[in-house]
Amino acid sequence: MAVSAAREIRDGEKVFVGIGIPMIAAFLAIYDHAPNAVLFFEGGYIGGRPPSACTDVGDTELGFRAPYITSLWRTFSDLQHGYCDLAIIGGAQIDRYGNVNSTAIFGDGTYQEPKTRLAGSGGANDMVSSAGRVMIMMRLEKRRFVERVDYVTSPGYIDGPNARSRSGLVGGGPAAVISDKAIFEFDEDTKEMYLSRVYPGVTTQEIKREVGWDLRVAKPVRVAEPPGLREVRFIRGYDPTDVILRSRRLFEDIDFSSWVALTRNSWRRFTPSIRSRGASPNVSAW
Amino acid sequence: MDLEVNGSASYCDDEMVENYKQREDKVVSLREAVHKFVPDGGSLTLGGFCGRNSQAATYEIVRQAKRNLTFIDDSPTDQLDILIGARCVKRVEIAWHGVSIFARAKNFRRAVEKGIPNKIEVEDYSNYAAGLRFLAAAMNVPFLPTRSLLGSDIPRYNKRIRTIKSPYDGEPIALVPAVRPDTAILHVQRADVAGNAQIWGGLANDENKARAAKHTIVTCEEIVRKEAILRIPNMTAIPFYCVDAVVGVPYGSHPWSCYGYYHHDVIFQREYAKCDETYEGFLGWIREWILSCQDHAEYRRKVGRKRLLKLTRMERTLNRIPV
Repeated sequence: MAVSAAREIRDGEKVFVGIGIPMIAAFLAIYDHAPNAVLFFEGGYIGGRPPSACTDVGDTELGFRAPYITSLWRTFSDLQHGYCDLAIIGGAQIDRYGNVNSTAIFGDGTYQEPKTRLAGSGGANDMVSSAGRVMIMMRLEKRRFVERVDYVTSPGYIDGPNARSRSGLVGGGPAAVISDKAIFEFDEDTKEMYLSRVYPGVTTQEIKREVGWDLRVAKPVRVAEPPGLREVRFIRGYDPTDVILRSRRLFEDIDFSSWVALTRNSWRRFTPSIRSRGASPNVSAW
Repeated sequence: MDLEVNGSASYCDDEMVENYKQREDKVVSLREAVHKFVPDGGSLTLGGFCGRNSQAATYEIVRQAKRNLTFIDDSPTDQLDILIGARCVKRVEIAWHGVSIFARAKNFRRAVEKGIPNKIEVEDYSNYAAGLRFLAAAMNVPFLPTRSLLGSDIPRYNKRIRTIKSPYDGEPIALVPAVRPDTAILHVQRADVAGNAQIWGGLANDENKARAAKHTIVTCEEIVRKEAILRIPNMTAIPFYCVDAVVGVPYGSHPWSCYGYYHHDVIFQREYAKCDETYEGFLGWIREWILSCQDHAEYRRKVGRKRLLKLTRMERTLNRIPV
């Protein structure tokens, strides 16, 4: 999933990156095939080269070798201005027009008293509103790929062709949905999501079973290239404590000093030039 | 579990505090600053953004058992989750609320879904919209327009966001209202006694929050001489005339990072998230880490000097403040 998303990032692009698995995809791209891509993080860090997978979009690793550090509203103003070619977001629900919900699953409840309250938009609404194109990363599950989302946090093509421009949205809208089983794209005329590529060993029928509407399918459906050894090695080394992908149950039990050691190994590997210059912290107030 | 540990005779009498911004020396203790400037029933915003967070102030608000706060922010993390769990909050106006990439804000979920420990009202924005609300107040204008929010359900459920046709080009545009919290508490790297506050790393919305709020408390890693500020005035993000109180709080945003000072303590936060899975677990956590510590110095001792210095060494491997 992270590898497929990374491959959608082209060299030299300016990419606004949402929290979570989009971060790993973006880091893989800049260390792999897109060394000149510029990553925007809403905490105000732009164009940095973090030496390990940090966990949050305001972490200080993002400032390492960054040419520009600024404020949150300025970062989003630059996005609204049109500087960003691509934005990558996650979410909880998506519908056939690529509208994403990350606010609440209503169930039998309401907005103020939903069955499941989610984190909310964060910067996702801003990213899909103004980025040149949008990539959405989401696990393929029937409860996620639904006919209609409960709440449109981040508008895709809303209800079809021209709806974005009618609403006044300037960004290009969703270009691809990257899941853990397949990649979806959007029909140029109808703006509806269709199955574009499956991962090796996955059938079209399997995909259709997990989608809550009558999914259209490319003819032919291509098979996506599996992750290469180099890409897998990168991710393992760059996220040594497995804090983002959480595939190895390492992060749950690791202690502080092992976490420090693993993180520093990653820093040594990805920034051969940095050396610890010793600490001179302010301890006078202790 | 009794959260009313220190009682709370809060007040925020404008007449009594209006002259604070004029003082030359604004240094007070964190306890005094929170007592004076965070009134029960008032509105509050905290600084930082997944880093440079007002953690020490959050803990002090819990110790003083403030009640019925309206919490206004862009993307608060565990500070808000802690305040909700400690029954300090009745309403939130935010864009996002989680603890970290690896943990949801469980108190927020419990409160909204089940009313545990109390029901809270939610008003959603996007991060840019939340930022523009502070910028509008900082500019002293009633609203600002944005091309975000259009075509989404955010304005549908938040009636204070308006969508109009621009009087200049006729295109749809969304308007977000200015917000003036009673109190902003912002953690920075350094400040002088008058409140000139210098920030390195991401600024978040702190420059604007400082100006939007009626009362602004600056907490800082180091209180420095004015001469140190005058050497690099470009780094002053918050000028003295916005500031009511200055508090020196080393490691004041642990477990979050503080650019140039210490790295994000991800493991400490993971432990918080584990406790936060249940409300009882959360109460155990605040008993251990907040209520049983008299102040932030005691919290620091409990976290451990060696551990904090390790985080500082990590941070300074990557980012150093060039002064």
